[in-house]
Amino acid sequence: MTTVTDKSVTLPVGDEPPLVTGNLGFHDITQLVSYHTEKRPPSAWYMAFAVSSTLLAVLLVLIAYLFWNGIGVWGNNNPVGWGWPIVNFVFWVGIGHAGTLISAILFLFRQRWRTAINRSAEAMTLFAVICALLFPTIHVGRVWVIYWTLPLPNQMEMWPQFKSPLLWDVFAVSVYFTVSLIFWYVGLVPDVATLRDRARSIWRRRIMGFLSLGWTGANRHWRNYEKTYLLLAALATPLVLSVHSVVSFDFAISIIPGWHTTIFPPYFVAGAIFSGFAMVMTLLIIARRVYNIQNIITMNHLEKMAIIILVTGTMVGFAYITEFFIAWYSQVEYEQYAFLNRATGPYAWAYWTMMSCNLLFPQFFWIKRLRRSIPFLFVTSIIVNIGMWFERFVITVISLHRDFLPSSWDYFNPTIVDVLTLAGSFGLFLTLFLLFLRFLPMVAMAEVKVVLPESDPHFYDKEDHD
Amino acid sequence: MMISLPIVDSPEAVRPERLWRSPAHLRQDPDFVESSREEFMPGASNPPSGSRRHFLQLLGASMALGGLAACRRPVEHVMPFADRPEELIPGVPLRYATAMPLRGVVQPLVVKSNDGRPTKIEGNAQHPGGTGSTGVFEQASLLTLYDPDRSRVLLRNGTATSWDDFLSLCQRLQLGSRRVAVLAAPTSSPTMARLRAELEAAFPQTNWLEYRAEGIDAEALGIESAFGVPYRPVYHFDRADVIVSLDADFLGPTARNFRHNTRRFAAGRRLHEGKNTMSRLYVAESAYSSTGLMADHRRRMTSGRVSELAAELAVALGLRQGDSPGAFARQLAGELQAAQGSGIVLAGESQPAEVHALCAAINQALDAIGQTVDLLNTAAGAATQPQALAALVSDMRDGLVDVLLMMGVNPVYDAPANLSFSDALERVSDSIHVGLHVDETAQRSTWHVPAAHFLESWGDGRTWDGTLTPIQPLIAPLYEGARSHSEILGALASGTFTRSYDQVRATWQPVLGTDDFETAWHRVLHDGYLADTGYDTIIPYGAALTGSVPPSPGGLELVLRLDPTVLDGSFANNAWCQELPDPITKIVWDNVAIMSPATARELDVASTYRKGRYVADVVTLSANGQQIDLPVWVLPGHPDHSVSVSLGYGRNIATTRPERKTPIWDTDDKTDVYAKGSIATGIGANAYLLRDALARPVASGLQVTKTGRTWTIVTTQDHGVLDVEARPLVRMATLSEYQEDPEFALAHEAPTPGSDEKTRFEDYPTLWEDRHPEDSPAFRDSDYWQNQWGMVIDLNTCTGCNACVVACQAENNIQVVGKTEVGNGRELHWLRIDRYFLSDDGLEVSDDPQMVVQPMPCQHCENAPCESVCPVAATVHSPDGTNQMIYNRCIGTRYCANNCPYKVRRFNYYNWSKTIPETVRMAQNPDVTIRFRGVMEKCSFCVQRIRSAQKNAGLEKRQLHRDEVVTACQQACPAEAITFGDLNDPGSRVSRERKNPRRYTMLAELNIRPRVSYLARVRNPGVIPEDSA
Repeated sequence: MTTVTDKSVTLPVGDEPPLVTGNLGFHDITQLVSYHTEKRPPSAWYMAFAVSSTLLAVLLVLIAYLFWNGIGVWGNNNPVGWGWPIVNFVFWVGIGHAGTLISAILFLFRQRWRTAINRSAEAMTLFAVICALLFPTIHVGRVWVIYWTLPLPNQMEMWPQFKSPLLWDVFAVSVYFTVSLIFWYVGLVPDVATLRDRARSIWRRRIMGFLSLGWTGANRHWRNYEKTYLLLAALATPLVLSVHSVVSFDFAISIIPGWHTTIFPPYFVAGAIFSGFAMVMTLLIIARRVYNIQNIITMNHLEKMAIIILVTGTMVGFAYITEFFIAWYSQVEYEQYAFLNRATGPYAWAYWTMMSCNLLFPQFFWIKRLRRSIPFLFVTSIIVNIGMWFERFVITVISLHRDFLPSSWDYFNPTIVDVLTLAGSFGLFLTLFLLFLRFLPMVAMAEVKVVLPESDPHFYDKEDHD
Repeated sequence: MMISLPIVDSPEAVRPERLWRSPAHLRQDPDFVESSREEFMPGASNPPSGSRRHFLQLLGASMALGGLAACRRPVEHVMPFADRPEELIPGVPLRYATAMPLRGVVQPLVVKSNDGRPTKIEGNAQHPGGTGSTGVFEQASLLTLYDPDRSRVLLRNGTATSWDDFLSLCQRLQLGSRRVAVLAAPTSSPTMARLRAELEAAFPQTNWLEYRAEGIDAEALGIESAFGVPYRPVYHFDRADVIVSLDADFLGPTARNFRHNTRRFAAGRRLHEGKNTMSRLYVAESAYSSTGLMADHRRRMTSGRVSELAAELAVALGLRQGDSPGAFARQLAGELQAAQGSGIVLAGESQPAEVHALCAAINQALDAIGQTVDLLNTAAGAATQPQALAALVSDMRDGLVDVLLMMGVNPVYDAPANLSFSDALERVSDSIHVGLHVDETAQRSTWHVPAAHFLESWGDGRTWDGTLTPIQPLIAPLYEGARSHSEILGALASGTFTRSYDQVRATWQPVLGTDDFETAWHRVLHDGYLADTGYDTIIPYGAALTGSVPPSPGGLELVLRLDPTVLDGSFANNAWCQELPDPITKIVWDNVAIMSPATARELDVASTYRKGRYVADVVTLSANGQQIDLPVWVLPGHPDHSVSVSLGYGRNIATTRPERKTPIWDTDDKTDVYAKGSIATGIGANAYLLRDALARPVASGLQVTKTGRTWTIVTTQDHGVLDVEARPLVRMATLSEYQEDPEFALAHEAPTPGSDEKTRFEDYPTLWEDRHPEDSPAFRDSDYWQNQWGMVIDLNTCTGCNACVVACQAENNIQVVGKTEVGNGRELHWLRIDRYFLSDDGLEVSDDPQMVVQPMPCQHCENAPCESVCPVAATVHSPDGTNQMIYNRCIGTRYCANNCPYKVRRFNYYNWSKTIPETVRMAQNPDVTIRFRGVMEKCSFCVQRIRSAQKNAGLEKRQLHRDEVVTACQQACPAEAITFGDLNDPGSRVSRERKNPRRYTMLAELNIRPRVSYLARVRNPGVIPEDSA
């Protein structure tokens, strides 16, 4: 591996501010990132882990309670067949979007700033998709036969029903998870090899050695690696768009007013990127502070994410308004009522929570000072995710609770089990994320090194050098 | 083939010590004491010695005897209705004709029995006094048979005793001359009449009082005062042009001749096959009723005001002198006079006898009697006077009654509180209560004898028209101690026990003649009636009009009514009835004080919709010196200055079932309606208490005070005003509009895109496939597709009486979920009746809206939106065009329910079937799957009936007969509003009904092609006078 002896040079590349600040060299980066997987974790980690694993335990207990008694322990009722579990599912799938977007799409577009955040964003994606997969699994009435949704050959020649968007979901989300996992793992290989080389104990060396697949850093390895990474990025890119489109089909394919909308696929994808970036921001603002990597994940990174949040938030807000326009334009009473009911019905509070969190708050990012204010970014990132949770609540519950026949209108009340299950899913997510922080390099060291000025000593990327 | 049934253990009867087995036992001989320690005779309990063959013989014998001991089929000869009696094929149900005593007459029935268990009740269509239909109570009486809270053993002062003990009481009573009093529910049974005569012969001082929980029979008293004899009226609404109901809910499920009334009324309203005129119904009423919602013109007014209207009407018709009548009365009089013999005026049970007398006189003056009103001479004695009960109670208090027999009545619960019946009951040395439950009266009587259910015992009776009808049992009494009323009465009269079978036969011997009694008897049992035994009709001479209608006292009025779901309280312990939504308010599991919005504002009380439930103020109602607390229900259309309360709630029924207690991780104790004591106990408040000593249903001077407490009320539907223009779900027009444009219902339809205006959505091409993919193998290889099932529901005749809802529940094993879970929106009724308010002034919620009802089963869409979204193909289309639910394939994603625009799919949120009590399990229809937790369910068009008919046709190598398949809802419907059948057969009733110009389908613009069509409603309002009458 290369090492850096001279820390003095920081060469600006064009007008772009440096991606890595603090005059860090190659070794500093290795040291900064790897160090955290090798030392005892800080006490903050232990406290966070205690809380999140407790929430995880709550989740497991509640799932057992659910399986023992039935779906009735939740608030779902007759018009509202899908309640919080599906809201949570769409919420987590949405969060699971940012990672692959950052790794694949930004990679293809040569957005080099992605290198600082892509590893943790991808990890977050995987864990969010795990949370997402949990909900449709446990929300079915007879979980013990959930495997009937898979096209398994059987003597009855009984196949799943391929017309159902739920089945498309099964495929879309599981493919997305598989590809994301492989993509993440491939990106990890050089860094795991670094950890292996730094390992002091024999067991650590063996485990890391096993995971690094015999990586030696040879030129041939790098060539194959780069090619694989590019191909996987190309493979993952359509998935980023397809997963949430397919999730939106669950609603768009139906005939319920408020669901039956062709705008859903792009609107869901924009919303997913929106919430995903917000979640990345929430996590990294804490992690960069605790792990002291502000020089790698810089204010510039956060600002770029804030801009993406601003753009996608505005797109989502545009979609909200378009829905209203189309409802009015359609002249269909049921459509019109469905949207009127969102804004003025018994759940108007949820609707306006969604509107203000998703459309209003991100608009503050037009102001550069606020884009670069850590407290403001942190608060807004959380607000955005609250808003996006409510967006799914608005779509799922408000549309269902009053549809065509006023005789079957009803109201949805979540139970304590609903609330704690959502909290428990955060426990699952955070537990996995904390374990990731503890054992794996949270920044893609090899990739960050590529964007250091030292990697480009001849200014190849710069046409006119002064 | 022996049929064994689960035997329900009864607590061991306590053997009194004075009974002895032998003189040795009495003397306590040492030898006897020695031998009695052994359970069996010497050697009997030792293992058999000897050969293997001997062992096997004993084994076989014990098996055979053991099987015999478990046999619960009735030992008497019962005659199957349709199938041959000698061949009971396991799994193939038999049907027997029988009858149900209800409100003083019997309702002719045909009951289905599966392997010895009655499982479904239907009307006896061949009976001259029947219609083939059933009401709520006939259907629900099946669950009463299997009620797990039924009393199981004789009780003497609250402790279990034996029938012999009771019989020895009867023998003792024979010795002295006792003063016997009998409080008995009205009965039409000739056997009971014969035994009553025997009792009166044995005890000359017998005081027999017919006791009705709801109070005296004002109709009988009124007609008696008009004609001298309490004739029984039969109304032929089909022949009437103008019907004026003065607070008479003759179409309500509680009406005594409900099925006949509804059938005849519907016949007069049905617009089909060229008929385009119909009757006009005026209703002036003191509560919103089923009749009120069918009215062409409805006036809400207090009960006292209705009486005044009756008097005004008499003046306007020139029957009486009086102040000049109001415009409404003059309008009615004018129409009635124009209609002459085809007008009907009738008064309701809440009206005093004087109003009934007036109605009788008006009908006679209009020449309606003999044309639209028949008067039957029932040969009953004089009508019971209102003071009779008070006199009896005073006798009891004075110690003038030695023995009080209470049969099928519950006076401790429902006698007027001012009479202090239960105090007087303590002065009676031998009070004997006979009933199905250890109810309020049973708990205070010295004796309680469990009554046999009518499906467990022999009996007889007369239908409303007088036709003699036998009651034959379908099962031996579930509980050892249960005896029929006639057996108990017979024992009391004679001191000996005679089986009801012999009693009934003895009554029928002289009727059928002794020559060939057995043949005639079997014929009667088979048919379920004896032909030509109806009462004679009478056309009496001039009516006497003596009494005058008392003036309306003003102030707040309280009107007490029989409940359309639990009747007088006798169905209060029936979970089906408790969960049945009230036809008007849609409230389940509760009793409320109903008042108008204006009255509620005046009293500063409200019932507020909050998060799917109603939070109602609890008020104290005080009348006649008594008070009860009830939650308020604000009902638009209810008259101002009046409060309506249902009777039959606030019960206290003892049960021996243990309370269900489950660990913290298990919710069974919260979801099982049978978990906490008896069903009825603790629901609502007892409104009987508020009546005066004469048990009048109306009390004036009601005081209402707010308690400050609130109570959660659960409905299956919240208040909703239907904007007919925007949501044309229930379509309607006036008669003249209909005559101008019979296809008015289609005017509401959205235009079909991309085609000419004549194309209906039903003919519109679909996106993906042909209407019936007849060339696909699934269809081609199946014979089923030769029938295509469809349904038509006529909104012009449906009264929303709920009979179909209970019939569906009984047929399809629909579980009861309880108040909390209905509040959570998890009720399981496959068929619901939607109720909407309609305001003349657009969407404003008026205080006096119209009301419409619409039965809503699964619409069996041809392009079913539920089918395309199921990921596992658990809901699919059958070749015969029904949307089928495959329970064992369902994984419970609930996507289908979300995507159903009619929201008719029901999900099993909990494992409801796990906690059904053992007796209630016997009520389940074996032809329908019991659904497990986590699966979806919904109306199947009674697919089990379709397949069973097809199977029989296949076995008999024939085509299905026309209209052979009848769904449960259709069969029950007293109005014949539901038509079901094969659309491929152009001659079937449903095909003919589908040609009705009023036909439309719900939400046709979604292009889902529902197989259920509705016939739009037509009102015949006429010219309405301006003043408020």
